Amino acid sequence: MKILNAILGATALAAASLVSVAAIAQTYPERTITMIVPFAAGGPTDTVARLVAESMSNDLGQQVIVENVGGAGGTLGAARVASADADGYTILLHHIGMATSATLYRKLPYDTLNAFEYVGLVTDVPMTIVTRKDLEPTDLKGLIEYAKANKDTVTVANAGIGAASHLCGMLFMSAIETPLVTVPYKGTGPAMTDLLGGQVDIMCDQTTNTTKQIQGGTIKAYAVTSPERLDVLKDVPTAAEGGLADFQVGIWHGVYAPKGTPADAMARLTKSLQVALKDENVAARFAELGTEPSPENDATSDALKAKLESEIARWKPVIEAAGQYAD
Amino acid sequence: MEFLSNLALGFSTATSIENLFFCLIGVLLGTLIGVLPGIGATATIAMLLPITFQLEPVSSLIMLAGIYYGAQYGGSTTAILINMPGESSSAVTAIDGYQMARKGRAGAALSIAAIGSFFAGTVSTFLVAIFAPPLTEIALRFGAAEYFSLMIVGLVSSIALAHGSVIKALAMVALGLLLGLVGTDIYTGTPRFTLGIREYSDGLNFVAVAVGVFGIAEILRNLEGEKTRSLLMAKVSGLLPSKDDVKQMIGPILRGTAIGSALGILPGGGAILASFASYTVEKRISDRPEEFGHGAVAGVAGPESANNAGAQTSFIPLLTLGIPANPVMALMIGAMIIQGIVPGPNVAIEQPALFWGIIASMWIGNLMLVVLNLPLIGLWVKLLTIPYYVLFPIIMAFCSIGVYSVNSNVYDLYAVAFFGLIGYVLVKLRCEPAPLLLGFVLGPLLEENLRRAMILSRGDPTTFVTRPISATLLFIAFVVLVVVFLPSVRAKRDKVFQEED
Amino acid sequence: MKSLKFDSTNLICGLLFIGLGIFFALQAFSLDLGTAFRMGPGYFPFVLACALILFGAIIFFQSIRVTGEGIGPIAWRGIMFILPAPIFFGLTVRGLGFVPSLFLTALIAAFASGRMRPLTALVLATGLTIFSVLVFSYGLGLPFRRFGPWLEF
Repeated sequence: MKILNAILGATALAAASLVSVAAIAQTYPERTITMIVPFAAGGPTDTVARLVAESMSNDLGQQVIVENVGGAGGTLGAARVASADADGYTILLHHIGMATSATLYRKLPYDTLNAFEYVGLVTDVPMTIVTRKDLEPTDLKGLIEYAKANKDTVTVANAGIGAASHLCGMLFMSAIETPLVTVPYKGTGPAMTDLLGGQVDIMCDQTTNTTKQIQGGTIKAYAVTSPERLDVLKDVPTAAEGGLADFQVGIWHGVYAPKGTPADAMARLTKSLQVALKDENVAARFAELGTEPSPENDATSDALKAKLESEIARWKPVIEAAGQYAD
Repeated sequence: MEFLSNLALGFSTATSIENLFFCLIGVLLGTLIGVLPGIGATATIAMLLPITFQLEPVSSLIMLAGIYYGAQYGGSTTAILINMPGESSSAVTAIDGYQMARKGRAGAALSIAAIGSFFAGTVSTFLVAIFAPPLTEIALRFGAAEYFSLMIVGLVSSIALAHGSVIKALAMVALGLLLGLVGTDIYTGTPRFTLGIREYSDGLNFVAVAVGVFGIAEILRNLEGEKTRSLLMAKVSGLLPSKDDVKQMIGPILRGTAIGSALGILPGGGAILASFASYTVEKRISDRPEEFGHGAVAGVAGPESANNAGAQTSFIPLLTLGIPANPVMALMIGAMIIQGIVPGPNVAIEQPALFWGIIASMWIGNLMLVVLNLPLIGLWVKLLTIPYYVLFPIIMAFCSIGVYSVNSNVYDLYAVAFFGLIGYVLVKLRCEPAPLLLGFVLGPLLEENLRRAMILSRGDPTTFVTRPISATLLFIAFVVLVVVFLPSVRAKRDKVFQEED
Repeated sequence: MKSLKFDSTNLICGLLFIGLGIFFALQAFSLDLGTAFRMGPGYFPFVLACALILFGAIIFFQSIRVTGEGIGPIAWRGIMFILPAPIFFGLTVRGLGFVPSLFLTALIAAFASGRMRPLTALVLATGLTIFSVLVFSYGLGLPFRRFGPWLEF
């Protein structure tokens, strides 16, 4: 049956190439597309991927199935895609870690900037600076003063090296020019538990993980890292309002394909991503997570390429200054 | 009585025909996939998760909860029948359950496991319903120092897992702890003992290690005597537990339920200890401790109840805090988010029907599990009449699929082969695998919490005794240690006195 | 003259633990040890490895001057066929695809037993493959390619 399919496919291809190049574009995709998520099933990135994949499936007329290839901060999954066949049937959904692992890992089996084609940006999840609920300061300025005055005892939790909370925590400490006591955890769950229990003081994490806790009053929010206030957290000022002018961090997600994937397939994938991001269901789910789909002009190959390049340049000095690598 | 009206709301949600149907499907699928050797609860749920996405939120979560219980029960079935635990808790069940099966009492072992699980499930469901919020308060008091002390209790208890040489058990625990540390150190990012293989940087896969040291070692052991031994199992006698069995299982089930419920509440990995702790307690208070490791009823009833109670109460942090206590719960959260429900501290108030519906369906799921599985026991036991040389290629195929499906990591498959060899060598050297596995799961928790506690206390080791909960736990560990060594001390002292006479 | 007696099983066991302990200790030693109050990545494993060496040594010395059961027969044929099965699956599942890889894996494992006849093995492997493809690939939709790129032309 497989051989029959291949023969049919080959015949179709041969026939199509006789007619016109545009006709090939219409034949893609002709089988299931695998979207690799380089993190475990059930996490925030996996959720984003599954929502987008489902909507893209509708548009492409072929199933886009999510395969979780977790491990080593997302680099195993990225490596898998980098070495996959460049036929448009294997794609990658990765977040900001794509840019930071270029510096965090000194021995990557792929060259981050030259191993991929770019489909487009998916979403940019804002971060929040949160603390245990009984911390005294009332605003971000107060928090910074408090942290500076007690820098030997104030603890900053993160979910492990390379995690969003680790990156944001590093950036926060470099922004206030004060090193605090870093307490790493294995994953967001245990870190959040200890924040709720008041065992640690500060954490900076994605809205995906913090919004409901902030709304429930179990933790205290001092700032969001987006340029504007968020609809779901109207009372929380932006970092700029609180006095940290350049403190903007977001966990952006992008879709990639292996280098050399045919241009027509790339164009089709980008178009499909754009359709998916306009899907009301996707927008509604994203909103519940405290984020929104990227606008159409960001869901493009060029925008993602530019984002990746600028983010690699931005994080390199921050990571090198911290002197912590993952290998 | 507010909780009664809540529970009534829950039951009315969960007993709609549609939800009952999905609960049944979940339990059934969970059992059927979970019973395949080498496919544990986590793999089963990861495999079945996507099919729940298409349903209504409540139905989807009810089905997922059903899958969870089914997978757990299925995992215990494989542990008992072919010594192939799919997760740490069933590793304990495998010790005595498999011995019962070898003596032709597989049916009784499976019934005992089912009844124990059901009882524990019922009790802990009510615990969840009545005490969830106050229990969460207690759980949040557990910081790094407390978890470290708790793990010490677990470690001390592990000595009881051995039925042979204590010193060998200790060596196995130490080896297990070391194996548990393989992977990236979370504090510095340094890879440890990975031999430069990046695929191992998140640590060794539990299923790979468990399948290797238990299952494959057992297959190899059976293959060596092929020429001389014709029958693997004694003739199967009676599917149901005898009167004597029933008498023996009541106490362990009650104690197991209590232990499991208490430990399951702790989000930092308490449930892992539930079955180990129960086994230790049962062996210690039994009048016939020599039976343990050779098919003791209490060694199946206690840990299975503890395991199920822990599984149930580990929903508490998920439901009241929105925080997953284990990888399975993390998958549940993923499912909730995909359904448009972001779990958080207010989920019980914002979505009462969902919240209480899930709690009610836990109990219904457990009931279905018993109703479904008691008749199936006959079928499972029949599987044992399949000639062994036909059974093990099947086992190898399924465990290859199961291990690979979790993370699509081929190095996990190489680890299966490696640990199969290690497990076989250790069995030949008369070392038992259970302590190794306990060490393996405790290793990272022990180190992580020790170092975190030291960071949080700014390098002050007295933190372990000045924090009351931690101090209490350490005291318990000390008492366990004394109790474990007391009989041998007394024996020696008696001997000394006799010599003096 | 008294001949030297020892329990060969425990002797090997002790040596194995000592050897493993030394391996881990050396590896841990090359990491940053730190101090008891500020532990580095190597501290905890180093302590454990030392404990393992100690336990190994105790087992080793206990084995001297006692006799114990021998090791017994070794399942060489089982080792030769069972252990390569998952490795083969790992090497080929992406290249050959799920169907042929699983079929061959089951076939390899089947030959671990002297009782297995070639025909039975073929039937078993075929049945197993069909079942698994139906359940895992079609039923549960696991993202395995049924036939991999090595089989395409």
